[in-house]
Amino acid sequence: MTDQLLNLACGLFLLTAIGVLWRRELSALIALLTVQGLALTGIAAVLAVGHSTETMVVAVGVGLLKAGLLPWLLRRVLTQVPGARETAPLVNVSASMLAAAGLVLLAYVAARPLVELAPTAAAQAAPVGIAVVLIGFFLATTRRRAISQIIGVMLIDNGIAAVAFLATGGVPLVVELGVSADLLLAVLVLQVLTTRLHAAFGDTDLDELRELHD
Amino acid sequence: MNQVGSALSLAFGLAGVGALAGLVAPARWRSLAAGAAIAAVGAAGAAAGFAVVSGTGWQVSLPDLLPLAGVSLSADALAGWFLLLIGGVAAVVGVYTVGYAGRSGHGPASRAALAVLPVFVAAMLLVPVAASVSTFLLAWELMAVTSLLLVLGEHRHSPAVRTAGLWYAAMTQAGFVAVLLGLVWLAAAAGGESFAVIRAAGPGLSPVVAGGVFLLCVAGFASKAGAVPLHPWLPRAHAEAPSHVSALMSAAMVKLGVYGIVRVGFDLLGGGPRWWWLLLGGLGAVSALYGILQAAVATDLKRLLAFSTSENVGLILLGLAAAGLWADAGQPAVAGVALAAALLHAANHAGFKTLLFCGAGSVLRATGTRDLDVLGGLSRRMPATTLLFTVGALGAAALPPGNGFVSEWLLLQALLHRAPAAGTVITVAAPVAVAVVALTAGIGVAAYVKALGTGFLARPRSTAAASAVESPPSMLAGMGLAAVVCAGLAVAPAVSAPALDRIATGLNAGTAPLAGGGVDVRLSGIASTISPLWIAVGVVGLAVGYAAAARALGRTRRRAAAWDCGDGPLTPRMEYTATSFAEPLQRVFDNVLAPEQDVDVTHPAESAYLVRAVQYRRRLPDRVEARLYRPLIAAADTVGRAARLLATGSVHRYLAYMLGALVAVLVAGVIR
Amino acid sequence: MSAWGAAAVQAVLVAAVAPLLIGFMRAVRARLEGRAGGRLVQPWRDLRKQLRKESIIPADAGVFFTAAPVVLLATSVLVAAAAPYLSTRGPLPGVADLIVVVGLLLLGAVALALAGLDTGTAFGGMGASREMTIAALVEPTLLLSVFALSTRSGSTDLGAIVAAGAADTAGAFTPASALAAAALAIATLAEAGRLPVDNPATHLELTMVHEAMVLEYSGRDLALVEWAAAMRLTILLGLLANLFIPWGVATSLHPLAIAVAVVVFVAKLAVLGGLLAAGEVFAAKLRLFRIPELLAGSFVLGLLAVITSAVLA
Repeated sequence: MTDQLLNLACGLFLLTAIGVLWRRELSALIALLTVQGLALTGIAAVLAVGHSTETMVVAVGVGLLKAGLLPWLLRRVLTQVPGARETAPLVNVSASMLAAAGLVLLAYVAARPLVELAPTAAAQAAPVGIAVVLIGFFLATTRRRAISQIIGVMLIDNGIAAVAFLATGGVPLVVELGVSADLLLAVLVLQVLTTRLHAAFGDTDLDELRELHD
Repeated sequence: MNQVGSALSLAFGLAGVGALAGLVAPARWRSLAAGAAIAAVGAAGAAAGFAVVSGTGWQVSLPDLLPLAGVSLSADALAGWFLLLIGGVAAVVGVYTVGYAGRSGHGPASRAALAVLPVFVAAMLLVPVAASVSTFLLAWELMAVTSLLLVLGEHRHSPAVRTAGLWYAAMTQAGFVAVLLGLVWLAAAAGGESFAVIRAAGPGLSPVVAGGVFLLCVAGFASKAGAVPLHPWLPRAHAEAPSHVSALMSAAMVKLGVYGIVRVGFDLLGGGPRWWWLLLGGLGAVSALYGILQAAVATDLKRLLAFSTSENVGLILLGLAAAGLWADAGQPAVAGVALAAALLHAANHAGFKTLLFCGAGSVLRATGTRDLDVLGGLSRRMPATTLLFTVGALGAAALPPGNGFVSEWLLLQALLHRAPAAGTVITVAAPVAVAVVALTAGIGVAAYVKALGTGFLARPRSTAAASAVESPPSMLAGMGLAAVVCAGLAVAPAVSAPALDRIATGLNAGTAPLAGGGVDVRLSGIASTISPLWIAVGVVGLAVGYAAAARALGRTRRRAAAWDCGDGPLTPRMEYTATSFAEPLQRVFDNVLAPEQDVDVTHPAESAYLVRAVQYRRRLPDRVEARLYRPLIAAADTVGRAARLLATGSVHRYLAYMLGALVAVLVAGVIR
Repeated sequence: MSAWGAAAVQAVLVAAVAPLLIGFMRAVRARLEGRAGGRLVQPWRDLRKQLRKESIIPADAGVFFTAAPVVLLATSVLVAAAAPYLSTRGPLPGVADLIVVVGLLLLGAVALALAGLDTGTAFGGMGASREMTIAALVEPTLLLSVFALSTRSGSTDLGAIVAAGAADTAGAFTPASALAAAALAIATLAEAGRLPVDNPATHLELTMVHEAMVLEYSGRDLALVEWAAAMRLTILLGLLANLFIPWGVATSLHPLAIAVAVVVFVAKLAVLGGLLAAGEVFAAKLRLFRIPELLAGSFVLGLLAVITSAVLA
């Protein structure tokens, strides 16, 4: 039963990452990110059941932060640029999907030694975390909007957290909180940046920043 | 000398007679003599092949025929399969040639063009029975040179033929050099040049030698087979050569590249490590996808067929790669299925591609153009040709109940097999390969719907197409024979089971891939079944049954104008052309195909807001050629120009070069 | 009951139920949109009316145009008879193969596309071109789902897959099969020409795909095309139902088991059809050039299904 739940949570975790690549509306992206945060919380919670209270605390913390605070902040950013869409990503959506497929395969192959070390259900799902990290990097590299890019960075963070949970059964509370604090800072900086960008150029396309260079 | 030997001697003798007849016969009878000779050579070759695949072995050594090495020939089941394939294609094309190159025909009827044909066929028959490196290389080069002469058959009419000839000559010779180096290296490492000696030494070779030989041979053979990125000669040569020559080259000669890979990879080297087959599979996947994409956007009918040859070779190479991988992973039964899929697909491709190239030749003869955009309306004017082309297209599109479907089904079965013990690489590569085969099959269907639908159906879009007339009987007879073979392969592929079994056993690559003859194809090691006969009977039976019942009820149809939105009669200009049909696919695969488009808007002098004319141009160049070969050619050109500084035209200077070279060699010898 | 008898029952059942399924879906949709809607048997009445009418064919059309409805119907009937809808023991295991079924359905689509081109009108060509583009892009998803499904039984034989699912119902609900079901569902929408890939209710030239190809058909020929199209939808939904919800399929040829299977099959069709119709109320048709994105998404789902089944195997 635990294994089934874990598989379900991991599947949801990966699917949301792929969904982030698939959708163009930034509001949908944030909704997907919220779901992903819940899935990550689910993974942590399933692993924590019957293990330690510290992991359970981490799970709750992760849930509050990733499914609550960060999406809320992003949504606040989005209210300043209503109806924003990722209109012309550097790599088109179909090609992104194929790239995602390739990255998932790569993650699967690369994580093979890890899985063989400890053939538990949790370790077997570790490639999912690696795949989400790769997809996050891909998203951050190929999208133009500042919000999409920060979402990419958050996918990377979620992926790393998932790998840590799945491979080791939990991360120390301090580490997780430290990483999340960094991320929080990044989101706040982004919020300021987006607001300024919007005020200066009427747009949040990061390529516009090149003009500052000249 | 047993029946194989007699049949082959007969074939080679007839080829000589045919060449002579092509040279001396008066123009009136020339095409008949040459066509009959090719058909006879082909039939004799096919008979020899049939005897070999039925279990008759044969070998002969003629030490005095050539100086130094002599000629040695032998035939095992693998050679027999390709003899049968080449012989069958030649027999059909021979019949077709009588009409195509005849007085009312379209093909070249010059002495040289017809006299070389039987020699070309004989050279192709010689390649699979060669049993030593020197004999093989000799036959290979003879085949290359004769085919080059045939490609140039219409060089007086168009400069494009000359360009095609140049590309073909350069690439086929480069490929020959690669094969030459590979096989000579192999012979040197094995300590003998006869295939028997090499075969015995093969498994003991060092991995470096075996890998190097495999790479060189794959490069050479894949360029002959037209695998991407070694393909640029193929769409040019196949499109510009006379159609019966295109049929021979595409259906038969290209397969000898496949034969070479099987012979060297599985037989002489006795299989190899995983990276060989992953490389081959990658080559196959790229060929299949790129070939079919280019075919789907091509508007020249013969160029479409040529790129589809690249695609099918890609699928065959995927099958061979799967066979190698499964053999390496210790799954001989599945390896046998994969090998059977590759070989069966080679035979099927030979069948339908002969038919399709001959059909394209008939269209060319009737209309004088290969451009699908200006064809159309041929189904009323050339009903028999249209029907025969449909049979070929059904096979080529790999739709049931066509013949291509069975071999693609086999290939998919070999790729769908799951063996967790086989390792991560296979677990990941197999679904990717399945997706490649699926996408290839899907786009292939679109490509052939385009070829048939825009080329033959609806109304003619040019006066040339409107004035088309049906082909003479001998051309139809040739195509009819090919269609019968296709139908046979489509409904009863199981008859080839014993032959495929012999080949697989002979190569130590799996055993009895197809179990159980008769109606169903059952596989060894995989629990899937297919009944090609029942599929054909089901579809045709239900359709004919319904049509007969409808006719019995006596309801007729009335003809009326098609819906024209109430705005005047429809004109052929409003029809979908091949270009417009392929436009959505081209847009979907924009990143791969990289079309060059430009739009010129001209304005009248009085205002820049008005438009006088809009000109839209789009070209779809072969991207591999533009990106890979153009720089190479430019580099070679630069080197050539630099080298011209050495050649001033002074005889003294040239003699001085020779003297210098001689002295340098001698000094080098002394120092060493 | 012999295997052939069961196959005949199955073919007749699919042929009879197909127009009712269309009628049911229209009724569900009408209710959800607050309309009264037509009766359940309305599609059957339409078919009867069209079957009595004379067929009119375009002046320039040839034999491909007249042959296409017959070929389309023949492929649909053959699949309806061979695939395991009622019983896993079909008389033709060599036809009830997943790859063969995919090929046969594609053959029907090709026949219609050629007919569309044969009319010589821009509509026909447009529909054919779009249909073939979509069909080409659906293939990878279809075969990857086949790959994921064939893992369970080690074979692409539909009878074997369904029987394996029926024998081990818990094993039928794995993450892999859920992903494969999602991928196959999207592929089914595209193959059957439903929203968001194609809108079966439109006659607007910018959006038509299937309707553009069949625009020139009338009378008896049109009846055949519509009937076959309804059968294709039934076939695809039925396959989806039996592959992923393998309850109630008879594993013997006992008449009682077959009778139960008939009831279960019709119930499953009604549920899936109702869900599809309800979903369509909320969906809009995608632009033609956004469809590759949808299909690329379904392709990734199919690939994930294969990988998942490999990891969890």
